[in-house]
Amino acid sequence: MSRPRSDDNSVLLVHAYLDGELDPANALSVAQQMSQEPALAAEAERVKELQNLIHDRLPREAAPPGLRARIESSVGATRHKRAKPSWLALAASIAVAAVVAGTSTWLVVDSRQQPMQVAELLVSDHIRGLMAPEPVDVVSSDRHTVKPWFNGRISNSPRVVDLARDDFPLIGGRVDVLGRTPVSTLVYRRAKHLISLTAVPADSTFAFNGSPQSINGYNIVRWTENGVSYWAISDLEPKELEIFAQLFRTSQNEL
Amino acid sequence: MSITPLRPRTGPNSPEGPPIRLVTSGTQESIGMLDDNARFRAVVLPYIDEAYRLARWLTGNGTDAEDVVQDASLRAFRAIRSYAGGNPRAWLLSIVRNTAYSWLHKNRPTTIVAVDDLEAVEREHVKADDRRDDTPEASLIAKADADQLRAAIAKLPAPFRETLVLRDIEGLDYREIAEATEVPIGTVMSRLARARRRLLETLSQDD
Repeated sequence: MSRPRSDDNSVLLVHAYLDGELDPANALSVAQQMSQEPALAAEAERVKELQNLIHDRLPREAAPPGLRARIESSVGATRHKRAKPSWLALAASIAVAAVVAGTSTWLVVDSRQQPMQVAELLVSDHIRGLMAPEPVDVVSSDRHTVKPWFNGRISNSPRVVDLARDDFPLIGGRVDVLGRTPVSTLVYRRAKHLISLTAVPADSTFAFNGSPQSINGYNIVRWTENGVSYWAISDLEPKELEIFAQLFRTSQNEL
Repeated sequence: MSITPLRPRTGPNSPEGPPIRLVTSGTQESIGMLDDNARFRAVVLPYIDEAYRLARWLTGNGTDAEDVVQDASLRAFRAIRSYAGGNPRAWLLSIVRNTAYSWLHKNRPTTIVAVDDLEAVEREHVKADDRRDDTPEASLIAKADADQLRAAIAKLPAPFRETLVLRDIEGLDYREIAEATEVPIGTVMSRLARARRRLLETLSQDD
């Protein structure tokens, strides 16, 4: 039995016929052709057999359980989203989520008992801030404006200090959400770099296991003071970020 | 994956310093965002399984497929406003496919044939296919198990593999496949016929 070339029109039409792609007139003509040409009928038999085999042997598997959730949360559709997310930030948070998985050891346990990684979330929030139209929800270099802004938004308004004379001017503040806990984030600037400083109440919701020094190029400095855990995140050099942390801790320019 | 700022920063990030003003809630933007989110939910999220399976067939493993799908979802989100309301599954799968090829190009440059070369690959293969005279009997392949079948599909050159997967596993119609793989329907038809023939050959040789 001679076999028609695979680019032979009649062969393509047999495949299209089996795939239900032909209109009734063409389907009829192909059916007639198959009844007259055994080679085409045999082609049809093999293709049907192959399709049955694939159907029986290769069940369609679902995506891994975490994938959908990661995609959803990375586009800001679920938890820890800010009032004004930007798609640009999504890029970053997806990238970060992909990179840091497994490297961070700070865990937040939210009410659904899903451990989440504080450092990872804060870096995502920082990047989201960089990418958003504004990195802050309240824009002000005046700590007397920023501090009261947090009143009524979170339970404890944060310590806000003025570091402008040390070349770390205050840009403003925003509320980030960790798991389901709203936390205050102050944004300072050093030259062209922004620093997100988040105050996380060190209560029982947060399980401490250590902290990464950096995630995906963003440096992290963390310290605890008066029951509050502070996280400074920036693309500043680690040394400069340390200086910032020291200045913040020792500053007397407080409201 | 690296993070690259996607546009020049303005406003508070610019060297001139931040504007001193209070920003209240960005209602207009929020509505715009909700809209995008809603579209993303309607257009992308229902097809994550399909996206994952296609990425898996193209990259060859689940971990890489997850990376590709995440990346592709992001691209889809970026492009969601330009999505013109055609077939959402085909639209998303075309993004997944392009993302997978970029990923392969970057991560496995030695094993992937550049997409530009696909036509050459096809011509070469069609000659090889038609040199063979054997006509495997349908009954011969019925014994193939899932692993053999998977391996045989994995061996197909990418343009044949993606076409076969989209049709015989995912059940897309020719028009959708043409859209997803960005080729004319005639090309879909010839790729599909060749893909099936090659697969049948491989399976009958396994026995």
